[in-house]
Formats: sequence, C-alpha cells, structure tokens
Amino acid sequence: MNDRTYSHDERDDRARREAQERRLSAPWQTPRGWRYWSAVNNSEVGLWYTATSFIFFLFAGVLALLMRTQLAIPENDFLSATTYNQVFTLHGSVMMFLFGVPIFEAFSIMILPQMLGARDLPFPRLSAYGYWSFLIGGIFVCGSIFFGVAPEGGWFMYPPLTTAYQEGLGADIWLLGLSFIEVASLAAAVELIVGVLKTRPPGMRINLLPLYAWYILVVAVMILFAFPPLIAGDLLFEMERAFDWPFFDPSRGGDPLLWQHLFWIFGHPEVYIIFLPAIALVAMIVPTFARRPIVGYSWVVLAAVGTGFISFGLWAHHMYTTGLPNISLAFFSAASQAVAIPTGVQIFCFLATVMAGRFVRSVPMLFVTGALAIFVLGGLTGVMVAIAPFDFQAHDTYFVVAHLHYVLIGGVLFPVAAGLYYFYPMATGKLLAEKPGYWAFWLMFIGFNVTFLPMHFTGLLGMPRRVFTYAADIGFDGLNLVSTIGAFILAAGVAVLVIEVLRPKGKQPYAKRNPWNAGTLEWLGEMPGKPWGVRSIPLVKGRYPLWDQPHLIRDVDAGRFYLPDAEEGKRETLITTTIDADPIQCLRVPGPTFITLWAALFTGGAFIFATYKWYLAAGTSALLALVTVLVWLWTGTAKIPEKRSKDVGLGVSLPLYASGSTSVGWWAMFITMIGDMSAYASLLFGYFFFWTVHDDFPPDPAAGPGLFWPVVAAALLLGAWVCTLLSRHWNRRDRPLAFTLGLGLGAVLNVAGILALLAGPHLNGLDPTRHVYPATVWVLVLWTTIHLGVGLVMQCYCIARRWAGRMTAEHDIDIRNVTLYWHFMAITSGVTVLVIAGFPLLA
Amino acid sequence: MDATYLSPRSWGWRALIALPLLGGCSGPQSTLQPAGVDAEQIARLFWWMSGFAILIWGVVIGCAVFVTYIKPRSHDSRVARWLILGGGVVVPPLVLGVLLAFGLSLLPSLSAPAEDGLQISVSGERWWRRVRYPTPSGGTVELANEVRLPVGERVGFRLTSPDVIHSFWIPSLGGKVDMIPGRTTRLSLEPTEVGVFRGACAEFCGTSHALMNFRVVVMEPDAFDTWLEQQASPARPPQGEVARRGQEAFLANGCGACHAIRGTSADGVLGPDLTHVGSRLSLAAGTLPTDAESFERWISHPDDIKPGVNMPAFDMLPAPQIHSIATYLSQLE
Amino acid sequence: MTRRAQAEPDAQGKPTPGRRESLWPLAMGPLLWVAHFLLSYATAAVWCAKVGGENGSLGGVRLVIGIYTALILSGIAVVIWRGLRKHRFGTATVPHDFDTPADRHRFLGFATVLLGGLSFVATLYVALPVVFIESCR
Repeated sequence: MNDRTYSHDERDDRARREAQERRLSAPWQTPRGWRYWSAVNNSEVGLWYTATSFIFFLFAGVLALLMRTQLAIPENDFLSATTYNQVFTLHGSVMMFLFGVPIFEAFSIMILPQMLGARDLPFPRLSAYGYWSFLIGGIFVCGSIFFGVAPEGGWFMYPPLTTAYQEGLGADIWLLGLSFIEVASLAAAVELIVGVLKTRPPGMRINLLPLYAWYILVVAVMILFAFPPLIAGDLLFEMERAFDWPFFDPSRGGDPLLWQHLFWIFGHPEVYIIFLPAIALVAMIVPTFARRPIVGYSWVVLAAVGTGFISFGLWAHHMYTTGLPNISLAFFSAASQAVAIPTGVQIFCFLATVMAGRFVRSVPMLFVTGALAIFVLGGLTGVMVAIAPFDFQAHDTYFVVAHLHYVLIGGVLFPVAAGLYYFYPMATGKLLAEKPGYWAFWLMFIGFNVTFLPMHFTGLLGMPRRVFTYAADIGFDGLNLVSTIGAFILAAGVAVLVIEVLRPKGKQPYAKRNPWNAGTLEWLGEMPGKPWGVRSIPLVKGRYPLWDQPHLIRDVDAGRFYLPDAEEGKRETLITTTIDADPIQCLRVPGPTFITLWAALFTGGAFIFATYKWYLAAGTSALLALVTVLVWLWTGTAKIPEKRSKDVGLGVSLPLYASGSTSVGWWAMFITMIGDMSAYASLLFGYFFFWTVHDDFPPDPAAGPGLFWPVVAAALLLGAWVCTLLSRHWNRRDRPLAFTLGLGLGAVLNVAGILALLAGPHLNGLDPTRHVYPATVWVLVLWTTIHLGVGLVMQCYCIARRWAGRMTAEHDIDIRNVTLYWHFMAITSGVTVLVIAGFPLLA
Repeated sequence: MDATYLSPRSWGWRALIALPLLGGCSGPQSTLQPAGVDAEQIARLFWWMSGFAILIWGVVIGCAVFVTYIKPRSHDSRVARWLILGGGVVVPPLVLGVLLAFGLSLLPSLSAPAEDGLQISVSGERWWRRVRYPTPSGGTVELANEVRLPVGERVGFRLTSPDVIHSFWIPSLGGKVDMIPGRTTRLSLEPTEVGVFRGACAEFCGTSHALMNFRVVVMEPDAFDTWLEQQASPARPPQGEVARRGQEAFLANGCGACHAIRGTSADGVLGPDLTHVGSRLSLAAGTLPTDAESFERWISHPDDIKPGVNMPAFDMLPAPQIHSIATYLSQLE
Repeated sequence: MTRRAQAEPDAQGKPTPGRRESLWPLAMGPLLWVAHFLLSYATAAVWCAKVGGENGSLGGVRLVIGIYTALILSGIAVVIWRGLRKHRFGTATVPHDFDTPADRHRFLGFATVLLGGLSFVATLYVALPVVFIESCR
C-alpha cells in the first residue's frame, strides 16, 4: 500500500480500520501480571502446553541417560535394581503420556486455529482445564521418583506383579495420576474434533482441509476409542488394589490377561496417536520446501484414515507370547502387515512431492529427511516383529527396544524437532538460527544411530528388556557400551536444540511475514502475532490459500472478510458446516478465568488424595470439583445473547445462539459420550472375557443379581429417559410448569432406578471380593449408577436454569444436551440390565 | 558337562571374530547361532527379512536423498505419481502378502506338540525356576534353574507360575512363551546340538527380573538318561567333618522349612530343591558358580546378590557355621 | 509456487450434487474391515475357548470365516463402486481441489474408493490365516 498520499476516502478507511482494530484488540487482550495465568486463549495455553511437555521430555531423557549409564558396563552398581526399575517405568510412562500425546495436543491447540483461520478453538476454557490437569498430574507422577516411591511395574503395569506383589504407592500413583491425564487428553480430543469439523473458515470444504487437520481429526477420534479402554482397565485395576476386587487374581477367578487386552487395545493405537500428528507436521513442512502442493492429497488422507482404523486391530501383537491360540495370533499378524500399507503410501506421497517440486534446503527439511531415514528402518523392523514366529524370539528383547525407538524417535521426535524449527517463528515472531540447527541435527542423528542400531544386535544376542544389569561373559558388553556413548551424543544434540530455543532473542529482528513462503493459513499472521489471530476470517478457495489467492494477506489485513470487528466487545469466531464450511453461527467464546485452574486443582485433588487412600479428602475435593465445574458452566456457558443475530461482514448475518445438532456444545456432548461408551464397552468386554476363560460363568446362577430388581430398575430408568425427552418437548412449547414437573418426575424415577439397580446385587448378597463374577457385576452396576448420578445433577441443573431465566424456550442448549446425555443413559442402563440379569439365563 | 563359554580361551577367538561383525551372532544366549530346529527356522526367517529390509531401506532412502540433495530440481510430476502408485500402492501389498503367508505357514510347525516325547514342567517363581522331570519309574524329580535335554528329541514344556508373569526363553533353541499365573502355557523345542546354553526371563517380573536366568544343557540321549537317573536318587551323605557339621547346621537352622534335600529330613517346598545342587552349573538362577565360596556369599547376604529375594539373610550365623553349610551344599552333586 | 490459473472445467452446466453429504461413506470400507476382523477373531477365540479346546480342530470355523470374508468383500466392492461413481461425477480429474460442491463430491468419492481398496486388501490379509492354520493350538 502506498502510504504517502491519502485521499479523503482512504483516510476515512484508515480511521475506520484503526477503530476496528482497537475494538477487536480489547476483548482479545492477553491478561497482564499474575492474571496472565488466567488466560485461556489458544496461543497462550498452546505455548504453556508445549513448554510443559518439552520439560517432561527432557526429564524422561535424563532418566534414559541414567539407564544407559547403568548399562554401560556389565554388573554395574550405579543404580540399584529398584531405582532402575522405577527409572525405566517412568521413562516409558512420561515419554508416552506426558510427552508423546500432550505434545500433539499442545501443537494442535497452538496451530490448528491459525491453520483454520479461526480466532480460537470452540472451548478455550476446556483446553485450559486440560492443560492445568496435565500439569498437576504430570508433576505428581514425575515427582514420585524424588521420594523413591515411583511406580516400578513398567509403563505397561502388568498385574499380578503390580496388583499383589508391589507394596507402596507406586502403582497407585501411576494409575490415578495417569488416569487424570487421560481425562485431559479426552478433553483435548473433543476440542480438536469439534475444532476441525466446525470452526473452519468459509469455503474450506472438506476437500480443501489442510492435511494437518485431517490427521488431527483422525487422531482425536482414535483417542476417543483408545483411551477409554485404558481408563476402564485403570478402574478395574484400582478396584483390585484399593478394595481387593479380584479382577486379575487367578485364585479368585480373575485373569491377568484381561489387563493386557485392555492395555494394548489402548497401547497400540496409542503408538499411532503419537506418530500420526508428527507425520502431520511433515505433511505441512514438505510442500512448503518443495514449493508445490502435496502430490497425492487423497492418498495421504487415505493413509491417515486407514492407519487410524487398522491400528485398532493390532493390539494382540504385543501378546504373541502369551500362549494365545495360533489362529488369534495370525489375525493380528495379518492386520499388523496391513497397517504398513497406508504408512508406506504416505511416505511415497512425500517423496513424490519433493520430486515434483523444487526442493529448498532448510533445517526443518533436514530433520524431516533424517526422520525418514530412521522411521523407514523402524517400520521395516516393525514388519519383521509383526511376523509372529520372529517375534517369539525378538519379543521383550533389545531388538524391540531398538525397533520402537526407531519408530518413535524417527516418527515423532525428529518431526517434532522439524516442527519446532518450522513453527517457532509463528509462535514467537523470530526465526531460530540455522547453524545450531545443523549441529543439533547431526549430533542427534549420529547419536541416535550409535545408540539404537547396536541394540538390534544386542537383542538378537539374547539380551532381554528391562534388565538392570547383565552378566559379563555373554557378549553384551561391547554393544552396550557403544549404545551408552551414543546416548550421550544424542543428548548433546538435544541440548544444542534446547539452548537455541531458550537463547534470549531480544535484539534479533522479527522474521518477515510468512518466513518460509508457505501456502497455508497459519502463516497469515503478522510477526509478531496479534492476540486476535487473524485480522478478518478469510474466504478460502484452495488447499494453499496463500499461494492460490494472490491478494489474500492484503485483503485479510484490510478487514475485507468476516468478523473484522468486535462491536460488542466480545470474543467471537465463526462456526461453519462440517462438509462445505458454510458459515452458520457466530460463536462467542469465553475469555480469561481462573475457574479452570480451580476445577483442575480440585479434580487433581480427588485423584491424588485417593492415591494416599485419604478418601474423605478425596471425596471433598471431588465435590468441590463438581461445584466448581457447575459454577463454570452456570456462569460461562450457553449465555443468552443480547440480540438474535449479527452482521459478520460480506453481507452475511449469522445467529449468535444455536442449540441442538448445529451447536458446538451438542457435538462436544455427543463426542464425549462416544468416548464414554467405549469405556463402557471395555467393561462389557471384561464380563464376556471372563465368560470365555471360565467353564461356567456365571459360576453359580443362584448368586447373581436376580431378575426382579434389575428389571424394575430398567423400567424406572426408561421412565426417567422418557420424562427427560418429554420435558425437552414442553420446554420448546414454552410450558415451564410442565417442563419442571416432567423433569422433576424424571429425576425421581432416576433416583428410584439407581436404588433398584443397586438393590439387585446388594440384596442377593454379591460380595465383590469373593470372586471375579460378583466383582464384574458390581463394576457394571457402579459404572451405570455413577453415570445416572451425573444425569441427576444435569436434570436438576436444567430445572434451575429454567427458573433462573438462563434457559428459555428458544435458548435451550442445556436441555438439548442433557437429553442427548440421557439417550446414552438409556443405552447404558438397558445394556447393563440385559447383561447382568439376562446373560445368566443364557449361559 | 563343561561350560565352554565360561572358559576365556574359547571366548578369546570368538570375540576376535565377533567384534568386527559388530557383536557378531555368537554367544550362549544368541538367537542367531541356533542349536535347535525352531531357532534355526526363525534365524533363517530373520536373515531373509533383514536382507529384504536393507534392500528396501536402501531404495527408499536412496530415492529420498536423490530428489533432495543430489538432483533437487523439479522432476516430472507424472514420474512422481508413478512413484506413489508403484512404490506405495502396488509393491508393498504384494511383498507384505508374501511375507505374511510365509510367516503364517511357519506357525503350525513351530508349535508342534511333542506328542510322546519328554514332558517337562517348569514353574517360574520370583526369581528362579522350578523344573520337574518325570522319571522312568513314573515319579517326578524336582530341580531348579537348570534344564537338561536330550539332543534330537522334541521335548514339551508345561509352563506355569504361582506368583507373577514370567517368561521361559532359551534363545539358542527357539522362541519364548510367557508363564502366566492361573494358566498353563506350552512350548516345544527340539535341540540339534550338544552344548551348554543360557535361558533368561524376558517378561518383567519385578526387582530381580534381570537375575532370573538358567542354564540349558543339551546332552547325548544316553548321558541324559544317566543324568536323570542320578538326579532322581537321594542326596549323598556329607563327606568329611566340615560337611557333616554343615548338614547338622542346615537342619538345625530351619533351612529345611523352605528347601528339600531328599534323603534328609529337609522337605521344604517354598525354595529350590537342593538335593543335587552341587551338580548344577549355577547358583541363584544363573548368577553365581556352585563352589563353596559362592554358597557362603549367598547364605550370608542373598539380598545383595539378588535384590528383593524371598530368602532371608543368615549373616547372624557364626562364620564357621556358614562355611560348613556351604561346604556341605557344594558337595551335593 | 504454483497458482491455479484455470477455473474448474465443469463448474457450470451440471446439476450440483446434494449439499447434505456426510463423512460416513468414507468410513464404510474400514468399518467393514473392522467388522470382519472382530467377527473372525471373536468366532475363532470363542470356538477355541468354549468348544474346540486347547488342541482341538478349528472345524467349521474356517468355513464360517470364509463366508464372512466373501460377504464383507462384496460389501466393500459395493462401497468402492459407489465411491467410483462419485469420483467420476462430471469431467474433472484429481486432485479435486476446487472450492466447489462438485469437487468436494468427487473428492469424497475418490477417498472412499481408496479406503475401500485398502480395506479390501486388509480383509484378504485377515482371511489368510484360515488357509494355513487348522487347529486351536
């Protein structure tokens, strides 16, 4: 733009734009001073999240160096057996739960809204809550090692070692601390799914979605199906540890293999949950430095979606040596081969892109190339161990250690390093220096291979995993020493990277806008970025809008697109349709608050106090968490706007309030309940698993929960569901009295149903500590009743909202979402009754 | 039977070859120096797969380096498309399919039951192995941490555990199978070479998981029969004064509450049967040799040698008494 | 940097495909694979645990899994065919990256075809075990 001469029009225009910018910056301002920590905006929370998970990564890396030091020479006494076991357990757990998964959530929270031209994710406070939960849980789990009480059962925590043979708090810290973090991951998954599907810029149809968003969508959906089985497993596990319910105790009908199934139904998809987002970074970086759009966009989408599905059919390949029938092994072996196909496709798509484009050398691309070299080898050894006969030898040896590090360091750490270099200017406005990048890369690359390449041979020579020492006379010495030296070289590379990131850059000038000449929207912002993200939300016409639409940056800055202003002083972003991204709502997103921190503290308290078996404190903390969450919902959600709709620019007027299936809240509830259902399905799987391992299950039909009470419960709960449904209808008709009476009756029926459901096993004297059968029945009943309890709170909440005037006939988000919840309650209670009362009649 | 790998001389030249080969393939616990039918099949599978893996890796990475650093100019995008179709879509399913079929075809033979062969029961306990052989007379004889097998015969193992999950693995002979409480898992192996090998626990089983090893001795069938017969016999009486006092002290200090020595009043079942402990190649699950000095160390401070072990330390006994017990036990051949 | 100069070939003149399209057809192929996998695994596992016994024969299970395979493969074939029809809508070819309902429609079709193809191969893989394995051992 030419600034030297102004006509009147231009001057007016400029004044108008400056006024817009002033109004826009007011609500999006990041809080200052100590209030900074009340921020909920994605750029702040994403930054904290990223920094925190990197700190956990460095912590786990130091643990790895301790292990390598211990193993440098045979029969070393640097670490005691117990300490070593704690160290390797924490190394694995922290890398998986506190780095691998969170780093993807962190990156996504930070860059996804930018990539989609959105001002924020749809539930910023949920992200903040997730972050604080992650921080508290992570510190709790990591801190344990400084008191010598860290878990020492491996990151897989196999019972009965961990349920009956390890005293102390270690296993409880692992279970409760990580369950708490898993809940945070589920929250992030909900956020990201809704983010990808509903907050895209107008015009970004599903065929134009950035590949990163495709991967994140797939991964977030995978989390919904992968994490809940582990949460269900954790529940069974903790019931056994705390209350002696014998799920994994063979002397009372339990079976340790159930844990392995549940753990690996989580554990294998988990590998892809941390690998796919890293590949997603590669999918963004490669086109930028090939200076052309990706070749084979649809093929990459195929790879992402296909891997997501097939990764759920691999879990038993971690159980090849447990004596399962050959035919079962064979199915998993087949699926494990199949998953290599989509993985290969995406690698060839990246190669093809570089080939067809004009390749530009850069640090991020160097890390990507290194990642490829490492990951491909890891993938190939993965194909080898997926062949069951070879795994009979390689399983639980250093060969697998080598394989998994090739996959995870090549498939996650190197791409993340590339992503760090690439996205650093987006987050801070400044570029990282090139030279330290090359140093870091070569040290890491060489160090990595020196560490892990020999481990293939160490494993083949017969060295098992998870050993704190080894004998001198069996040929392991030399290779182990080499690995240790390599580990320190690798660590030096990471150190260079960390120093470059932390180096004060006060004097360094800001990078130019879009420093890499990338094509996607996250590079739209100014350097340094403004708190509002994008000046106006653009209309997108291609997969690489910055390449495809020549004047895009100018028009965006001029506020020529959507939402260039914030007349009402509120934080706003656009909600669009799932497939075609037609704008359908102007969503008001909430601003800074400390309530999410409080909610996370109290939730954390509930889990942490339970670890120490201080149940009174834990209960109090849980109650406070519930109250805090209710206050948060009451004051911060489903606000009735001052007007029905507003003009968002380009002549489009959008409603400010939406309920039902067009609202983001409804989507969040639906997605959460899908996750909830998969946890419930895992508990059901437990019931039928015990049926297959026992000749007679239920062992003695007379000792079951009977038929009468469960059927009564089913009838009452069905009634509660119908009442909830009817009251939604009456609310729509604006009949508050009928609504209140209907929902009140629903609540009463609900309470009666809960009591009837508990009466079945209670009155029939089912003792959950005696045998696994009563324990399984009880756990299904408890799961159901706790959910119904939550349903009761929701029913009362809706009545209160209606009378407080915060819900009306038109503004009915609350009751719509609660009804949706109750649909799932109807399914849960119906299936519970069918199984506990009906199945004994068949079996 | 002489433990060849323990002799530094035989190791010297092996190490010479091994080092240049980056560790090579040899060793008493190596999967790549097979001495059994199953290990041989798996090793062959490994070599084939590795060969192909290296080839594929070379092609893919070569291609990547070529298009990035050697010829970074823009290539024909049609060629790029063919790369996706050929390299990503057509070739992998075929290669993987063939490999899968080959892998599956191996499965039935690898778990072939030892129909009428020897059946050995092994129980993994923290952190040692209880091994039970059927004797020709129809009884059973119990050993610990040592498995002896006749060469050229398929032998079946019934694997159990009374406490946590362990694993039974003799890399030189074949794959591993877990030992899971509440279940009985099976394995069969067919050694083809006479020799001494090492077995290990592969499934993490607690504090001293690293120290749960055992020796495997593959013998000529005749020698095996003689050995089994000898193992089935009761313990020989103590030789000499020190050993005699050792036996008395053993019985007087309640060692028999956990350990059995057939032919004496010691009949404990919690710990390893010591009837012929002196004839074994190792003490404390592959950790120490079976000389008197090692027994002394073990009896005084088992927890130092094997952290977390169930056996209490007996360092409160007077040193001469420990010495005599050690002498007695080391004589039990 | 490539900028697309030309407009979409058949932006005009064709009836635009329905607005109400969903992502579900995309997942159909993989979901059929999941169904086949779980059915085969559950059938074999329950048979071996409850009927066959530790060394028992797989008996009719192999045939049953063969039947599952035939049914599922024909299901996937239908998914692929329907995807192909969407992909062939109009005259444009890949990469289907125009901001039009028609190209979105074609993209969804093409992705459905690709996922269907992967599911087809993966289903064949999962059916392969019954060729080689005859018992519950």
